[in-house]
Amino acid sequence: MMNSHVIAAHNIDAGYSNKNILSGISVEIPKNKISVILGANGCGKSTLLKTFARLITPKTGQIILDGKDISLIPSKQIAKTLGMLPQSPVIPEGIRVIDLVSRGRFPYRKFLQSMNKDDYNAIEKAMQIMKITELADCVVDELSGGQRQRVWIALALAQQTDILFLDEPTTFLDIAYQVDILDMLTELNEQYNTTIVMVLHDINLSARYANNLIAMKNGRIIAEGTPQEIVTPKLISDIYGLNCEVIKDPVSKAPMIIPKGRYHSSEMV
Amino acid sequence: MIDNSTIMEGHIRRQRRYIIITGILLILVVVIACFMMIYGNTIYMPKEIIRILKSDEMKGAAFTIKTLRMPRMLAAVLTGVAFGVAGNTFQKLFGNPLASPDVIGVTSGASVAAVFGILVLRLNGDIISWMAVISGLAVSGIIYMLSRGENFSNGRIILTGIGMQAFLNSLISWMLLKAAEYDVSSALRWLSGSLNGVTMNQIPRLAIAVCFSVGLIIALNRHLQILQLGDSHATVLGVRKGAVRVGLMLCSLLLIAFATSVTGPIASVAFLSGPIASGIVGHGRNNTIASALTGAILVMSSDIVGQYALPSRYPVGVVTGILGAPYLIYLLIRINRRSE
Repeated sequence: MMNSHVIAAHNIDAGYSNKNILSGISVEIPKNKISVILGANGCGKSTLLKTFARLITPKTGQIILDGKDISLIPSKQIAKTLGMLPQSPVIPEGIRVIDLVSRGRFPYRKFLQSMNKDDYNAIEKAMQIMKITELADCVVDELSGGQRQRVWIALALAQQTDILFLDEPTTFLDIAYQVDILDMLTELNEQYNTTIVMVLHDINLSARYANNLIAMKNGRIIAEGTPQEIVTPKLISDIYGLNCEVIKDPVSKAPMIIPKGRYHSSEMV
Repeated sequence: MIDNSTIMEGHIRRQRRYIIITGILLILVVVIACFMMIYGNTIYMPKEIIRILKSDEMKGAAFTIKTLRMPRMLAAVLTGVAFGVAGNTFQKLFGNPLASPDVIGVTSGASVAAVFGILVLRLNGDIISWMAVISGLAVSGIIYMLSRGENFSNGRIILTGIGMQAFLNSLISWMLLKAAEYDVSSALRWLSGSLNGVTMNQIPRLAIAVCFSVGLIIALNRHLQILQLGDSHATVLGVRKGAVRVGLMLCSLLLIAFATSVTGPIASVAFLSGPIASGIVGHGRNNTIASALTGAILVMSSDIVGQYALPSRYPVGVVTGILGAPYLIYLLIRINRRSE
C-alpha cells in the first residue's frame, strides 16, 4: 500500500494579523517519510505546520496538494487526505475515549446516517495502533497525559489520512511516553506508508526518528536533508546559537548532539 | 483485545440505551402534558377532554380546556423545548455551561424589547415577537462586539454578557416601575417568565419557529460535536466552522426570542436543560433531543408545582429560578476551584 499524495509549499508568506512569520518558503514534503521541522522558539516551525494543515491561510503563495492549490479543494475532501494533531485541543467534558475517537470519522459520514462497517474498522484499527483499545470506555479527562495524547492521535488516525501533521506531539510527556509515541508513529509510517510531518523540540529524538529534517530560522528554511547530512555543529549553532559536539548515537547510529554550556567542558578544568 | 465486532456491538448497545432513555423522556413529556390538561380546579377525564376538543363549544368546561389549559400546556412544551435546545447549543458552542443565553443577556435582550413594545409603545401581537427577535439578535451582536479584543475569548463573552444581563434587567425593572397600572403578575412575566395569559393565537408562530430551528440544530449536531474540539480540529476535520457557527447561533437566537416573546424569560431552563440532559444520556453523546425534552419537562412540572403545590400561586419562572440558583452557585465555585 503506497500512498500517492504529495504536499508542497510554494513561495509562502504567512503569519498572524499584521505580523509576518514565514517569508518565501518553498518546500516539498517527501512522501511516505517522517519529516521533522526543527528550529528555535518563534522561528515559525509551528506556523509552517499550521499553514500546511490550512489552519492559517497564507498571505501569498500556495499550499499545493497533488498539484492543486489547496484553497480550491472542498474542505471535506482535504479532510480525507490531511490529518493533524494540533497543540492543546479541547476535551469535551465527560467524553469517553470511543466517542472522541469516533469523531475522527466526521469527513466520511453522510448526513444523518449512522456509522457503517468502514467507520467501525477505521476506529478499531486506530485504537489498536495507539494501544488504547482497553481504554475505550474510559473518560478522557481522567486519563494520564500520555494516554490522552494517544487518544488524540487515534482520532487523527481514524480520519485515515495519508498525510499526518503533528504539532509537538510529545510536549509535556515524560521521556518514556515520548519514545513510546514516536515508536507508534514509526510503526504507522512503516505499516501504512503514512507521510508524517511533525514539530519536535528534542533534537536527538528528531535525528533518530526522522528520515528528513527541515531546519528553520527566522521564518526561512536554512537546511533540509537526512539527519546524517545536515546535523552538524555549525547548523546547531546557526539555528539555536548553541555550541555543541555531534557524536554518533550508540543505539540508532543517528547523529546526536552534546551541548557545550559555559561550564562543565573539559578544557575548563 | 477487543475485536471489531465488540466495538460495533458496544456502539449499538449504547445507541439502544440512548433511544430507550429518549423514549422514556418523551413518555414523561406526554404524561405531564396530559396531566396539565386533566388537573386543575376541576378535574376533567381524558374522554371528556377529547370530546370537548372535537366540538365547537366555547363555554364552561370547553372554555377551561380550550382557552386556559390547552394553550398553557402547548406553550409550556414549546418554550421548554426552545429554551432547552437553545441553552444547550450555546453551552456547547462556547464550551462553557455558564454561556447560556439566560446568563449572558441574550434572553434579556429579547425581553427588554418586548417590555418596551408592550408597556411603552402599547403594541401587541406578532409585532412584539419580531421586536423581541430583532432585539435579541442586536443585543447578541453588541455583546459580541464588546467582547472582541485582540483575539476571541469565550471568557470575555461570558463576563460581558453577565454585565449586559444586569444592565438590561435594570432597564426592564425601570420600565415596569414606570408602568404602575400593570399588575404584579404581568410584571413578573417579564422578569422571570410566566405561562399566565398565553392565548391560542400565539402558539402557531412559536411552533413554526421551534420546528424550524430545532430541526436545523439537530441536522447540524455532528458539526457541533466537532466544533467542541476547538477551531483547529474543526478545520482539520473539514467543518466549515464560520457558516456552521452562525447557523447554530441564529437558530438558537430565534428560539430564545420567539419563546421569550410568548412567556417571558423563563428563568434557568436554558441554563439547566443541557447539563441535566448530558447527565441522563451520557456526556459526549448527542444531547440536543434530550435537552429539548428535559426543557419541556422542567417547564411543565415547574408550572404544576407553581400552580398547585405551593401555598399561593407562583409563575413558572419563580420555580425554575429556584432550581437554577444552586446550580449557578455550584458552577461558580467549581470554576473558581479549577482556576486556583
